[in-house]
Amino acid sequence: MVGSASGMSTAQLRPGGGLERWAERHLRVLMLAPTVIILLGLTIFPSIYMFYAAVHKISPNPDVPWDFVGPGNFVRLLSDQQFHVALLNTTVFTVLAVTVEFLLGLGLALLLDKYIRRLTFLKTMLMIPMMLPPIAVAITWKLIYEPQFGVLNEIMYRLGLPLQAWAGDVDLAMFSIIVADVWQWTPFIFLLMLAGLASLPVEPYEAAALDGASSWRQFWDLTLPFLKPVIAIALLLRVMDALRLFDLVFILTGGGPADRTKVLSLYIYQVAYRFADPGYAAAISLFVLFVTIILSTWFMNRMRLAD
Amino acid sequence: MEIVPKIHVRSRLREMLVRLTAYVTIVVALVVTLFPIYWIAANSFKFDIDIFAVPPEWVPKNPTLKHYDEAFIQRPFLRYALNSFLVAVGTTIVSVCFGTMAGYALARFSYPWQWRRQISFWILSTRMMPPIVSIIPLYLFFNYFDMLNTKSALIIAYTAFNLPFATWMMKSYFQDLPVELEEAAMVDGDTRWGAFLHVALPLARPGLAATAIFCLIISWNEFLLSLIITLTEQSQTLPIGIAGRVTQYNTYWGEISAAGFMACVPIVVFAFMVQKHLVRGLSLGAVKG
Repeated sequence: MVGSASGMSTAQLRPGGGLERWAERHLRVLMLAPTVIILLGLTIFPSIYMFYAAVHKISPNPDVPWDFVGPGNFVRLLSDQQFHVALLNTTVFTVLAVTVEFLLGLGLALLLDKYIRRLTFLKTMLMIPMMLPPIAVAITWKLIYEPQFGVLNEIMYRLGLPLQAWAGDVDLAMFSIIVADVWQWTPFIFLLMLAGLASLPVEPYEAAALDGASSWRQFWDLTLPFLKPVIAIALLLRVMDALRLFDLVFILTGGGPADRTKVLSLYIYQVAYRFADPGYAAAISLFVLFVTIILSTWFMNRMRLAD
Repeated sequence: MEIVPKIHVRSRLREMLVRLTAYVTIVVALVVTLFPIYWIAANSFKFDIDIFAVPPEWVPKNPTLKHYDEAFIQRPFLRYALNSFLVAVGTTIVSVCFGTMAGYALARFSYPWQWRRQISFWILSTRMMPPIVSIIPLYLFFNYFDMLNTKSALIIAYTAFNLPFATWMMKSYFQDLPVELEEAAMVDGDTRWGAFLHVALPLARPGLAATAIFCLIISWNEFLLSLIITLTEQSQTLPIGIAGRVTQYNTYWGEISAAGFMACVPIVVFAFMVQKHLVRGLSLGAVKG
């Protein structure tokens, strides 16, 4: 690491204006300051402002002054059935989608690693879904799920299976959302696992093979521990992303049918705009923020990501 | 002596079986991955009556550009795309400029009291913040300053998650560069800033380009914040335009297929441009691919 000390000494060697020398001496602060200030303004300020909003009743009419209600909005969280449904839906979605994506991505990476390593073009093709605009993904799956002329029901028909309403069906709506999400995000886990596998050391495996360890044992005792840091990062990013699910639900189901796919982001959006109650929406947002901070801090501390 | 070749044959058979499974899996994965993209493209070139056909028309028999005309000429999708583009470019410039400097500072300088670690950690955690939690304050804020429905408001909002991304990406690229070259430049009389500008920055150029492209993609794809901030075609972005044609009464399949496919095309081009940097870009620089 080059300390600031060497920077200072070279600055003193060179002739230059006073301002230039001052800037050179404080370079480590000056280079970091704009980013820190911008992010403070865009994250800390809104958080404080949100807390302020959460203890008020806010009318959609800007001329009506805010009405202080104290912890009222937070108390409402305890008894709000819709909030509990949204919390449950988000949890179910996050757990199921991330688990399926992880198992599928890891399995594919283990199976294909040897064969696909040099096929960069093919690999990139498989990575396309996760780069696409979520709205485009949503309308694509809407077209596939379409009950009358959708491709999925055509396949069901050919297989002699009963036709379904998919995203419009009470029992299949969440499943439909998860399938679309799995389609888009399994490549992400697959990609990170391939990167992890490519960086595995060779020697331990040679030693294990000499000892006659089965490939199953090698996987549990060598591959999995080596992959652990990459797995942790992949899961952290996926969980954080799953918690903010919005676009797919907005287009595919609008939260229905019967609130089966109403997730937290969508509920906050509805409370804020359709029910015109920004104060309560702020209270729910604070709850989500709190959960996110706890989860991500726990993850990042465990992985010592900041180094 | 008899057993040895037998095992040999069996293990070779097994290897062939695994190889076969692998190739079949690759083909299946390709079909599953690419079919939905093909399907949206195929439908964008069909007449309405062919979109609704049962059984589906797998390949458009009467290809038409009708829906492209509807979306981009008669309706303001060209305008939406232009808005998306301008906002993405604006956000990218701001994020990459400041993020590069901050990333360099965090990669090279030392700070008292473990601040380097603390600040890195804090910047990363701002990236984890779900956008929905900031919409209420942002909305009230932009409303207060009369900035709702402007592209500047979108650029400000998007910077909130692109700047931490750019900082972490550039930090990881600068950490990969050998310090010695910058030290040599300073021994030759260059300043610290000069060493950054003339030595480190040119060496980090591939990383810089990849970071910029990722910022463009993230902004181009964003939906929720744009949904809150924009109201009319003066500032509405492409995803908002598409979502607007999925109404309670009717879904304009042809139009949204055409616009949706066009929204995907630049992303696919970008994906191939950054294919070497995908792992790093998608893991915020945490995993080096």
